Amino acid sequence: MVPDRIEREISIDAPIDRVWDVVTKAEHVGRWFGDVTAEIELRPGGRFTCTWAEHGTVHGVVERVEPPRAFAYRWARPVGAELEKGNSTLVEFTLAPEGSGTRLRVVESGFRDLDLTDEERAKYAEGNVQGWKQELDELAGYVVGQAA
Amino acid sequence: MMPGRGAATSPRADEVFAALADGTRWRLLETLAAQGDGTATTLAAVMPVSRVAVIKHLAVLDRAGLVRGRRRGREVRYVVRPERLEATARWLATVASEWDARLASIKRIAEEGRDEGRGTRD
Repeated sequence: MVPDRIEREISIDAPIDRVWDVVTKAEHVGRWFGDVTAEIELRPGGRFTCTWAEHGTVHGVVERVEPPRAFAYRWARPVGAELEKGNSTLVEFTLAPEGSGTRLRVVESGFRDLDLTDEERAKYAEGNVQGWKQELDELAGYVVGQAA
Repeated sequence: MMPGRGAATSPRADEVFAALADGTRWRLLETLAAQGDGTATTLAAVMPVSRVAVIKHLAVLDRAGLVRGRRRGREVRYVVRPERLEATARWLATVASEWDARLASIKRIAEEGRDEGRGTRD
Protein backbone atom coordinates (compact mmCIF):
# COMPACT_ATOMS: atom_id res chain seq x y z
CA MET A 1 0.00 0.00 0.00
CA VAL A 2 2.77 2.43 0.88
CA PRO A 3 4.92 2.97 -2.21
CA ASP A 4 8.14 3.35 -0.32
CA ARG A 5 9.83 0.30 -1.75
CA ILE A 6 10.46 -1.35 -5.06
CA GLU A 7 10.75 -5.12 -5.38
CA ARG A 8 12.01 -6.90 -8.49
CA GLU A 9 12.94 -10.54 -9.16
CA ILE A 10 14.61 -12.49 -11.90
CA SER A 11 15.49 -16.14 -12.56
CA ILE A 12 19.06 -16.74 -13.60
CA ASP A 13 20.37 -19.89 -15.21
CA ALA A 14 23.59 -19.94 -13.20
CA PRO A 15 24.57 -21.36 -9.79
CA ILE A 16 24.10 -19.22 -6.69
CA ASP A 17 27.85 -18.77 -6.10
CA ARG A 18 28.28 -17.40 -9.61
CA VAL A 19 25.36 -14.97 -9.15
CA TRP A 20 26.79 -13.92 -5.77
CA ASP A 21 30.07 -13.02 -7.49
CA VAL A 22 28.31 -10.98 -10.16
CA VAL A 23 26.21 -9.11 -7.59
CA THR A 24 29.03 -8.33 -5.15
CA LYS A 25 32.37 -8.21 -6.96
CA ALA A 26 33.53 -4.79 -8.12
CA GLU A 27 34.64 -6.04 -11.55
CA HIS A 28 31.05 -7.12 -12.30
CA VAL A 29 29.22 -4.34 -10.46
CA GLY A 30 31.15 -1.89 -12.62
CA ARG A 31 29.35 -3.48 -15.59
CA TRP A 32 25.77 -3.94 -14.44
CA PHE A 33 25.48 -0.90 -12.20
CA GLY A 34 27.97 1.60 -13.54
CA ASP A 35 29.70 1.64 -16.88
CA VAL A 36 33.27 2.50 -15.88
CA THR A 37 34.35 1.08 -12.53
CA ALA A 38 33.12 0.12 -9.10
CA GLU A 39 34.88 -0.21 -5.77
CA ILE A 40 33.42 -2.40 -3.06
CA GLU A 41 34.84 -3.25 0.33
CA LEU A 42 32.86 -6.42 0.92
CA ARG A 43 32.15 -6.07 4.65
CA PRO A 44 29.50 -4.21 6.66
CA GLY A 45 30.57 -0.57 6.83
CA GLY A 46 32.79 -0.97 3.76
CA ARG A 47 32.95 1.63 1.03
CA PHE A 48 30.78 1.29 -2.08
CA THR A 49 31.37 3.50 -5.10
CA CYS A 50 30.33 3.13 -8.70
CA THR A 51 31.17 5.34 -11.66
CA TRP A 52 29.40 6.22 -14.90
CA ALA A 53 31.30 7.91 -17.72
CA GLU A 54 28.56 10.48 -18.22
CA HIS A 55 26.94 10.89 -14.83
CA GLY A 56 29.78 10.68 -12.31
CA THR A 57 30.24 8.60 -9.20
CA VAL A 58 27.71 7.22 -6.76
CA HIS A 59 28.84 6.89 -3.15
CA GLY A 60 27.52 4.39 -0.67
CA VAL A 61 28.26 2.01 2.15
CA VAL A 62 27.94 -1.77 2.41
CA GLU A 63 25.38 -2.77 5.05
CA ARG A 64 25.11 -6.55 4.93
CA VAL A 65 27.30 -9.36 3.60
CA GLU A 66 26.04 -12.94 4.06
CA PRO A 67 27.40 -15.05 1.20
CA PRO A 68 25.84 -16.38 -0.89
CA ARG A 69 22.37 -15.27 0.16
CA ALA A 70 22.21 -11.65 1.28
CA PHE A 71 23.97 -8.46 0.24
CA ALA A 72 22.84 -4.93 1.02
CA TYR A 73 24.19 -1.45 0.52
CA ARG A 74 23.00 2.08 1.00
CA TRP A 75 23.65 4.60 -1.78
CA ALA A 76 23.43 8.36 -1.91
CA ARG A 77 21.22 10.21 -4.34
CA PRO A 78 21.61 12.03 -6.56
CA VAL A 79 24.72 10.81 -8.36
CA GLY A 80 27.81 12.64 -7.09
CA ALA A 81 26.52 13.28 -3.57
CA GLU A 82 28.47 12.02 -0.56
CA LEU A 83 26.49 9.78 1.77
CA GLU A 84 24.82 11.77 4.55
CA LYS A 85 21.64 11.72 6.56
CA GLY A 86 18.54 11.99 4.41
CA ASN A 87 20.02 11.32 0.98
CA SER A 88 20.25 7.56 0.65
CA THR A 89 18.14 4.52 -0.15
CA LEU A 90 18.78 0.91 0.89
CA VAL A 91 19.31 -1.78 -1.73
CA GLU A 92 18.94 -5.40 -0.57
CA PHE A 93 19.74 -8.43 -2.70
CA THR A 94 18.45 -11.87 -1.74
CA LEU A 95 19.67 -14.99 -3.55
CA ALA A 96 17.99 -18.41 -3.40
CA PRO A 97 18.73 -21.66 -5.25
CA GLU A 98 16.08 -22.52 -7.84
CA GLY A 99 16.65 -25.87 -9.50
CA SER A 100 20.13 -25.64 -11.00
CA GLY A 101 19.78 -21.87 -11.20
CA THR A 102 19.20 -18.94 -8.90
CA ARG A 103 16.28 -16.69 -7.99
CA LEU A 104 17.57 -13.15 -7.45
CA ARG A 105 15.42 -10.58 -5.67
CA VAL A 106 16.19 -6.90 -5.15
CA VAL A 107 14.37 -4.50 -2.85
CA GLU A 108 15.12 -0.79 -2.83
CA SER A 109 13.52 1.15 0.03
CA GLY A 110 13.69 4.42 1.93
CA PHE A 111 12.39 6.84 -0.72
CA ARG A 112 10.29 8.65 1.83
CA ASP A 113 13.45 9.68 3.71
CA LEU A 114 15.02 11.29 0.66
CA ASP A 115 15.48 15.05 0.86
CA LEU A 116 15.33 15.48 -2.91
CA THR A 117 13.75 18.49 -4.53
CA ASP A 118 11.44 17.89 -7.47
CA GLU A 119 14.13 19.28 -9.77
CA GLU A 120 16.77 16.93 -8.41
CA ARG A 121 14.35 14.07 -8.76
CA ALA A 122 13.53 14.96 -12.36
CA LYS A 123 17.21 15.33 -13.22
CA TYR A 124 17.99 12.04 -11.55
CA ALA A 125 15.22 10.19 -13.35
CA GLU A 126 16.22 11.67 -16.71
CA GLY A 127 19.87 10.72 -16.29
CA ASN A 128 19.00 7.18 -15.39
CA VAL A 129 16.53 6.71 -18.20
CA GLN A 130 19.40 7.48 -20.56
CA GLY A 131 21.62 5.04 -18.71
CA TRP A 132 18.91 2.43 -18.92
CA LYS A 133 18.57 2.89 -22.67
CA GLN A 134 22.29 2.26 -23.08
CA GLU A 135 22.00 -0.92 -21.06
CA LEU A 136 19.05 -2.07 -23.15
CA ASP A 137 20.92 -1.38 -26.36
CA GLU A 138 23.85 -3.34 -25.02
CA LEU A 139 21.57 -6.20 -24.04
CA ALA A 140 19.88 -6.19 -27.45
CA GLY A 141 23.28 -6.30 -29.13
CA TYR A 142 24.29 -9.26 -27.01
CA VAL A 143 21.09 -11.19 -27.70
CA VAL A 144 21.42 -10.65 -31.44
CA GLY A 145 25.06 -11.71 -31.27
CA GLN A 146 24.07 -14.96 -29.52
CA ALA A 147 21.40 -15.76 -32.10
CA ALA A 148 23.73 -15.24 -35.07
CA MET B 1 20.32 20.74 4.39
CA MET B 2 16.58 20.93 3.84
CA PRO B 3 15.89 23.59 1.24
CA GLY B 4 12.37 24.28 0.19
CA ARG B 5 10.68 23.39 3.46
CA GLY B 6 7.55 25.51 3.57
CA ALA B 7 7.70 26.42 -0.10
CA ALA B 8 4.17 25.32 -0.87
CA THR B 9 4.67 25.56 -4.62
CA SER B 10 7.30 22.81 -4.77
CA PRO B 11 6.80 20.00 -2.25
CA ARG B 12 9.66 17.57 -2.13
CA ALA B 13 9.63 13.90 -2.89
CA ASP B 14 10.18 12.95 0.73
CA GLU B 15 7.10 14.96 1.75
CA VAL B 16 5.02 13.05 -0.74
CA PHE B 17 6.28 9.69 0.53
CA ALA B 18 5.93 10.72 4.16
CA ALA B 19 2.37 11.86 3.47
CA LEU B 20 1.57 8.57 1.77
CA ALA B 21 3.25 6.45 4.44
CA ASP B 22 0.36 6.90 6.88
CA GLY B 23 -2.54 4.48 6.57
CA THR B 24 -5.16 7.04 7.61
CA ARG B 25 -3.97 9.58 5.06
CA TRP B 26 -3.90 6.90 2.40
CA ARG B 27 -7.53 6.09 3.18
CA LEU B 28 -8.39 9.79 3.17
CA LEU B 29 -6.93 10.12 -0.31
CA GLU B 30 -8.81 7.04 -1.50
CA THR B 31 -12.05 8.33 -0.04
CA LEU B 32 -11.57 11.76 -1.58
CA ALA B 33 -10.74 10.21 -4.95
CA ALA B 34 -13.83 8.00 -4.78
CA GLN B 35 -16.18 10.79 -3.68
CA GLY B 36 -14.75 13.47 -5.93
CA ASP B 37 -14.44 15.91 -3.05
CA GLY B 38 -15.07 16.19 0.69
CA THR B 39 -14.87 18.37 3.77
CA ALA B 40 -13.39 17.49 7.16
CA THR B 41 -16.94 16.87 8.37
CA THR B 42 -18.02 14.56 5.54
CA LEU B 43 -14.68 12.71 5.65
CA ALA B 44 -14.78 12.24 9.44
CA ALA B 45 -18.23 10.71 9.01
CA VAL B 46 -16.80 7.81 6.99
CA MET B 47 -13.39 7.53 8.69
CA PRO B 48 -12.59 5.94 12.06
CA VAL B 49 -10.92 9.16 13.27
CA SER B 50 -12.13 12.50 14.63
CA ARG B 51 -12.80 15.61 12.56
CA VAL B 52 -9.81 17.29 14.24
CA ALA B 53 -7.57 14.40 13.19
CA VAL B 54 -8.94 14.57 9.63
CA ILE B 55 -8.09 18.29 9.51
CA LYS B 56 -4.51 17.57 10.59
CA HIS B 57 -4.09 14.81 8.02
CA LEU B 58 -5.58 16.99 5.27
CA ALA B 59 -3.03 19.69 6.16
CA VAL B 60 -0.17 17.19 5.69
CA LEU B 61 -1.61 16.06 2.35
CA ASP B 62 -2.05 19.70 1.32
CA ARG B 63 1.59 20.56 2.14
CA ALA B 64 2.73 17.57 0.08
CA GLY B 65 0.68 18.86 -2.85
CA LEU B 66 -1.58 15.81 -2.86
CA VAL B 67 -4.87 17.63 -2.18
CA ARG B 68 -6.18 21.14 -2.71
CA GLY B 69 -8.66 22.89 -0.45
CA ARG B 70 -11.17 25.59 -1.45
CA ARG B 71 -13.15 27.48 1.13
CA ARG B 72 -16.91 27.14 0.65
CA GLY B 73 -18.81 29.10 3.26
CA ARG B 74 -17.79 27.84 6.69
CA GLU B 75 -15.97 24.73 5.47
CA VAL B 76 -13.04 23.89 3.24
CA ARG B 77 -13.81 21.50 0.42
CA TYR B 78 -10.92 19.25 -0.63
CA VAL B 79 -10.15 17.53 -3.93
CA VAL B 80 -7.28 15.20 -4.89
CA ARG B 81 -4.48 16.67 -6.98
CA PRO B 82 -3.62 13.67 -9.17
CA GLU B 83 -0.62 15.24 -10.91
CA ARG B 84 1.72 14.87 -7.95
CA LEU B 85 0.62 11.30 -7.29
CA GLU B 86 1.16 10.52 -10.96
CA ALA B 87 4.58 12.19 -10.96
CA THR B 88 5.59 10.16 -7.92
CA ALA B 89 4.26 6.95 -9.47
CA ARG B 90 6.14 7.72 -12.69
CA TRP B 91 9.34 8.30 -10.75
CA LEU B 92 8.95 4.99 -8.90
CA ALA B 93 8.23 3.26 -12.21
CA THR B 94 11.46 4.71 -13.56
CA VAL B 95 13.41 3.42 -10.58
CA ALA B 96 11.74 0.00 -11.02
CA SER B 97 12.67 -0.03 -14.73
CA GLU B 98 16.26 0.67 -13.83
CA TRP B 99 16.26 -2.36 -11.57
CA ASP B 100 14.73 -4.53 -14.30
CA ALA B 101 17.54 -3.42 -16.58
CA ARG B 102 20.21 -4.04 -13.94
CA LEU B 103 18.80 -7.49 -13.09
CA ALA B 104 18.82 -8.30 -16.81
CA SER B 105 22.49 -7.25 -16.92
CA ILE B 106 23.31 -9.37 -13.86
CA LYS B 107 21.57 -12.31 -15.52
CA ARG B 108 23.48 -11.78 -18.75
CA ILE B 109 26.85 -11.53 -16.99
CA ALA B 110 26.17 -14.55 -14.74
CA GLU B 111 24.99 -16.70 -17.65
CA GLU B 112 27.73 -15.63 -20.04
CA GLY B 113 30.22 -17.00 -17.51
CA ARG B 114 28.47 -20.33 -17.91
CA ASP B 115 28.05 -20.15 -21.70
CA GLU B 116 31.63 -19.23 -22.43
CA GLY B 117 33.12 -21.27 -19.64
CA ARG B 118 35.00 -18.38 -18.11
CA GLY B 119 33.77 -17.96 -14.59
CA THR B 120 35.46 -15.62 -12.13
CA ARG B 121 38.34 -16.89 -10.10
CA ASP B 122 39.55 -14.79 -7.22
